[in-house]
Amino acid sequence: MSPKTKFKCLKCGHEYVEEYAPDEDVERACPKCRSNSVRPEKPKKADAAKEE
Amino acid sequence: MMDVGRHPRIELMAYSEVEDVGGYVGNFKVKVRKKARYVREEDCTSCAECARVCPVVVPDEFQVGLSSRKAVYLPFPQAVPAAYIIDMDACLGTNPIACGKCEEVCEKVCIDYDMKDEIVELEVGVVVVATGMEVYDPTELDEYCYTRYDNVITSMEFERLICAGGATEGHFVRPSDHEVPQRIAFIQCVGSRNNAGDKGNRYCSNICCMNTVKDTLLLRDHYPDCECTVFYMDIRAFGKGFEDLYMRSREEGVKYIRGLPGEIRQDPETRNLFLTAENTLTGEVAEREFDMVVLSVGVIPRHDSPLIKKLLSLSTTGDGFFMEAHPKLKPVDTPTRGVYICGCAESPKDVKDSVTQASAAAARAMTLLNAGEVTAEAITAAIDPALCTGCGLCAKVCPFNAIVVDKDRKTAWVVSAMCMGCGNCGATCNFGAVTMGHFTDDQYYAQIDALLEENAEDKVFTFACNWCSYAGADNAGISRLQYPASPRVVRTMCSARVTEDFVLYAFMKGAPVVLVSGCHFADCHYIDANRQTVKRVYRLWDKLEKLGIRPERLQLEWISAADGQKFARVMREIEEMRKQVTAEEIEHAKKVLAEEWEKKLAREAKRKKKAGADEPKDEVQVS
Repeated sequence: MSPKTKFKCLKCGHEYVEEYAPDEDVERACPKCRSNSVRPEKPKKADAAKEE
Repeated sequence: MMDVGRHPRIELMAYSEVEDVGGYVGNFKVKVRKKARYVREEDCTSCAECARVCPVVVPDEFQVGLSSRKAVYLPFPQAVPAAYIIDMDACLGTNPIACGKCEEVCEKVCIDYDMKDEIVELEVGVVVVATGMEVYDPTELDEYCYTRYDNVITSMEFERLICAGGATEGHFVRPSDHEVPQRIAFIQCVGSRNNAGDKGNRYCSNICCMNTVKDTLLLRDHYPDCECTVFYMDIRAFGKGFEDLYMRSREEGVKYIRGLPGEIRQDPETRNLFLTAENTLTGEVAEREFDMVVLSVGVIPRHDSPLIKKLLSLSTTGDGFFMEAHPKLKPVDTPTRGVYICGCAESPKDVKDSVTQASAAAARAMTLLNAGEVTAEAITAAIDPALCTGCGLCAKVCPFNAIVVDKDRKTAWVVSAMCMGCGNCGATCNFGAVTMGHFTDDQYYAQIDALLEENAEDKVFTFACNWCSYAGADNAGISRLQYPASPRVVRTMCSARVTEDFVLYAFMKGAPVVLVSGCHFADCHYIDANRQTVKRVYRLWDKLEKLGIRPERLQLEWISAADGQKFARVMREIEEMRKQVTAEEIEHAKKVLAEEWEKKLAREAKRKKKAGADEPKDEVQVS
């Protein structure tokens, strides 16, 4: 199972969490406004270090 | 099949697998593994003496496990060539020979335990993919108790039971007690049209309704006293003569109940089955008793479709079936030139439709072969060897494997016959070495300049792919849908052609909002090129943020050719976003990007100067 990532819709601003893998083959759409402009949030360096 | 086997100009390679496909239209090189049969097919007379003495008994795949075969066997009665095969996984062993009975009785001395797989290399002009489909396994659907109750069978098992050449020689009997069932239920859409759960498939399997209608008529013909009941969602009898057949089935006394059973219960003593279902036409919920239940199972793509997809650079729909180049105008072509598809490899269909499509594919293949030569597209990519560093990034992203990289000479070249002109390589190259015919970088910059020359702040700059989004805009237009006048649309062959520089240049020229739009993932006309679009847009969002430009000003949308409504809606929404972009924001973007642009131009000039000073590389173009 892919790790969950926070996504932000760059049209309506809605934020949600979904599974995400960089090499995935998934067409994404905002669950609220159906826009395809959804941006995965990059893990912050401090968070990544914490996880390690 | 006999005709194919006998045809002087058709070489039939049964029991063989395609291992590799190279080359391009008119010049494919196919590597085929001809598996060892351990029986010389040219000498075998199918006398069956070997099978008679073989001591090994295994389930017969052709009879879906309802009967058995021997380790040496004929795959099915009408097999071409009519020669036996030894199943080496089941055979008692040849090294050392533990049994050898088949060899002892074979008068023609056909058995050859030392036979090896053979690799055959073929040179062909075109490839037709007719790999068929597989049948859905309903074991995962707990409510139907398949494999838990003996008398719940699939439509494929029904076929083998009712067939004269089947496991019971056409005597239709219950698996539990070998008695002829009197009350038979058929359940439709098993594994098909399932929109709710995660089991089964969403699509209609196309053939199951008429298969059941035919089965009920067969039963009524063979066993006039039997009662048939069909549980269905809708009966889809849309083909020529199908409605008549359906009506005949009803007139013959077959009961049709609109509603699928929620559960099946078995009487442990009689092994009879009780189905609870609601008739959605009357609202009546009733439990009915049957002797046997037939699950009308749907069809699924072959398990090895992904391998064929990879070998031939094909694309598939979300369902996993191979995708045609165009649903109306090129229904048997694929995105790869010279490769055609037909039958259930493309989508579930019946025999008549499969034959029609196979004839079409054969005709398309003949047209190409008879032409003698292939004309390359004018929009293909070309690589400037002086600028190319041989990094290979372009080859990595090419969906058609049309780019050959020579690491030693630090260069790459495009095989024009394979290139379809998506422009993904052009957008990926960091060294400006790729030129797209008729869609050059300079042409795009000129279009951006022209469209944003006046009142740039009032415009929504839109890149639309040729096949879907641009057609979607057309659709919105011809449907007279209302949307703001702000969009300025530039056509690209694929959304993957849109380079990061095009987007940044548009912002530098004062565009308040830029939209990149392309085909939905499943519809990409360049197999999977638009996945690169996503990656590029992700990078651009990061870059814009770093430069202090709101990433929201770059939008991404997948709009299909039929999505005129979506195009209009997106344009209305983006127009609202455009109004919120302030003059200060536009000026800031223009300023910081102009600085970036200067740096970029300086880098390019330096690179070109260096390339000019280097020893010239030979220009290699293969077409």
